[in-house]
Amino acid sequence: MPATGAVVLAGGRSTRMGAPKAALEWHGSTLLRRVVGLVQRGVDGPVVVVRAAGQDLPRLPSSVDVLDDETVAAGPLQGIATGLGALQGAAEHAVVCSTDLPLLHPAFVRAVARAGQDADVALPVVAGHRQPLAACYRTSLAGRARQLLAQDRPRPAFLLEDADVRVLDELALLGDPALAKADPALASVTGVNTPEQYAALRALPPPEVVVQRFGVLASGGDHGERTVRAATLAAAAQAVGLVLDRHLLAAVNGDQMVRDPELPLAQGDGVAFLSADAGG
Amino acid sequence: MAAAPGGYFGRALVIDVSDGSSRVLPLPEQVLRDHLGGVGLGTWLLTELGPPGVDPLAPEAPLAFVFSPLVGTPLTTSAKFAVVAKSPLTGLLTDALASSHFAISGKLTGHDALVLVGRADRPSVVTVEGDRVGVLDGSAEWGRTAAEAEASVRARLGPGWQVASTGTAGERGVRFATLSHDGRHAGRGGLGAVLGAKNVKALAVHATTKVAPADPAGVLAAAKDLRERSRGRATAKYRELGTMANVLAFNALSTLPTRNFSAAVFEGAPQLAVEELSQAREVVKTSCASCAIGCEHLYKGPKNKDGTGRKVRMEYQNVSSLGPMCGVSDPDLVIAASALCDDLGIDTISAGGTIAWAMECAERGLLDADWLRFGDGEAVLRALREIGSGEGLGPLLALGSRAASAVVGQGSEAFAAHVKGLELPGYEPRTMQSMALGMAVNARGADHNRSGAYEADLSGDLDRLAGGADHVRGAVEAEDRSAVMDSMVLCKFLRGVFEEPFEQWAVLLRLVTGWDLTADELRATAQRIVLAKRAYNLREGWQPSDDWLPERFLSEELTVGSGRTAALSPARLRSMISAYYAARGLDDSGRPLS
Repeated sequence: MPATGAVVLAGGRSTRMGAPKAALEWHGSTLLRRVVGLVQRGVDGPVVVVRAAGQDLPRLPSSVDVLDDETVAAGPLQGIATGLGALQGAAEHAVVCSTDLPLLHPAFVRAVARAGQDADVALPVVAGHRQPLAACYRTSLAGRARQLLAQDRPRPAFLLEDADVRVLDELALLGDPALAKADPALASVTGVNTPEQYAALRALPPPEVVVQRFGVLASGGDHGERTVRAATLAAAAQAVGLVLDRHLLAAVNGDQMVRDPELPLAQGDGVAFLSADAGG
Repeated sequence: MAAAPGGYFGRALVIDVSDGSSRVLPLPEQVLRDHLGGVGLGTWLLTELGPPGVDPLAPEAPLAFVFSPLVGTPLTTSAKFAVVAKSPLTGLLTDALASSHFAISGKLTGHDALVLVGRADRPSVVTVEGDRVGVLDGSAEWGRTAAEAEASVRARLGPGWQVASTGTAGERGVRFATLSHDGRHAGRGGLGAVLGAKNVKALAVHATTKVAPADPAGVLAAAKDLRERSRGRATAKYRELGTMANVLAFNALSTLPTRNFSAAVFEGAPQLAVEELSQAREVVKTSCASCAIGCEHLYKGPKNKDGTGRKVRMEYQNVSSLGPMCGVSDPDLVIAASALCDDLGIDTISAGGTIAWAMECAERGLLDADWLRFGDGEAVLRALREIGSGEGLGPLLALGSRAASAVVGQGSEAFAAHVKGLELPGYEPRTMQSMALGMAVNARGADHNRSGAYEADLSGDLDRLAGGADHVRGAVEAEDRSAVMDSMVLCKFLRGVFEEPFEQWAVLLRLVTGWDLTADELRATAQRIVLAKRAYNLREGWQPSDDWLPERFLSEELTVGSGRTAALSPARLRSMISAYYAARGLDDSGRPLS
């Protein structure tokens, strides 16, 4: 499969929120860090963040490139054009997400990315609402997006008009067994636009994850799986009495070795903690 | 002759076991500074003393026991020695380390290395006490296990002697026979077969002198500090559970070689988990000489011939190779297989890897051995006994998987899991792609101790499933660190206590030798040693195709727990190897530019 990258749009004006959404606190991390981390886990290509020129962003993984919007306050289509343009050559497709999706699940990202492989756009439609800012685009659409901007047609909906769009309704989305298990309510597309929405979602308990400790971390009969609620790697470690330092490593769902305390966790994740030294 | 630097004698003793004669080989200070000791100095000795193209089992082939400037100091984990020779398994350089009082007594014979050449006219035991060399009748020890032979020689010679011996496999020329002392093994590459080919069962050494570091007070203070740090969290894994702690963790990461690398997750791993076994079983903890870590964990094993109880050293590599690699999950059978390898004197990694290959051959109908099936621990024991006795499949399996697959043919070469003839240790290259490169290019072959690139894969700093430039950098850096640690010599399990390793190692060496060593010089030394090994291999017939992985790893994909595919394409491996060559200053075919 050609590489699928991702674009996270962080440059919105956050008018209704009254504060930059990217920097909103989220269980010890930030909204942007969370969305970036979840998207990274769902794609196999590079991830870029598009911000307004000069915008301060919270700390992000070093593997993420940060791009400035080419035009000030031009709306999400400008960010899409910038992000897709930057990924051309490195990825044939890209999942585009806004920064305000704290319940996004990597399984959703994977499902949308997979559906986008044989279309210009894979567009989720949930509860009758189209989700162009949680969709997958062919990166070659960057040129068309710029044309639309030049024609003063700056809404993402215009980009869909001439494109080969694959609509993903609830039935199609939940036909993916992994997504159906991880996010049956399709909460992945729940946006945060107002302080009230933020407060309500922030009050929800963090996702349930299963933690395993190995080696000396599990000696003294303290081994086996344990289910805890944790939105980040640090929180998962803390929940089982561990501190993330240079002697400790983790793997989420048996994949990469990680030690970033802010690494976001999602519902159903398995987290393995082990000693950093694997010699033997 | 000028006085030797601190920690050195400035000479090696070359012993011709054919007639018991010996000569002192002066070791110039610059040679010592350039190669340090252990594996580095051993490579230099082998290059100097080994006739080009020599048959590893010929009388002329040297077998070097090499010490280091740190041996005999109070620095923790420094009582180690390297054994270096041309390998009968790979036909290239092999070097293995062991830790024991043999290192201290061997060095305090007054030599930085003892080199055996020639062939005795009957089974013999070689003794070294100062410059005095003896070649004694070894017929009483011939045919006995290494531990029995060691005890017998000690009983004959009296107190104060330390004895390194091979088992019966070494006598029979099993190409992965080990050299042992005090239950510790110089395990990889068939060094026991090299000793056995000289008609020598054992080398016994007796200390006669002392050696002083340049700054005794400084060394004492450094030793105290290092000892304290070696008891911290960086070594907790080794101290508390031993390396077997890798089994369950590696299983969770899809890096546990299973059924001859046909999978990387073993359903029987929980039965072999040290987290459980250490609770349920009687375990004795012990340590090598001069070691504050104490990584050794001895498990109750099968009874001795006389009915007495027996403890078996269990480590991750034993368990991985004789357990999951062969599909065996019964801990009693895995412990019994480890004990049998100790008795025969064979490398558990090569033994398990070769048996796993044979199991796959048998299941595919390429070998007429319907008793040999994955998952059957008794079959593993039978195969080991046949390797030891030379009966049944023994002569074939004693060749190792590369040579055996060349005999069997029929496509079995594709799943013979070796590099340069050396069987892969318990690290899955498709899910550890820095390690894939490290094993492909390392001089010794598929090896974890000389490469160490798994450190990069498990660092959290790169995507271990997507080999690229970062993996190359990680593999080069790990190989450099290993080259220095294996030449100083310090135990790898200590590495976590060094936050700035080259700087801190330079300090230790300055205190011992008196040299004005810097971290940069030590980095250059590391590269020199790595290239010296490559140069030796080139002289002995290394070909570019030797820096490669078996076809299985490049054509079969794995899936990790997240659902991601782990695949290593030939193009990706080639790209990493080319970048490695460039980083090492080699040409496109892996040869030095100058």
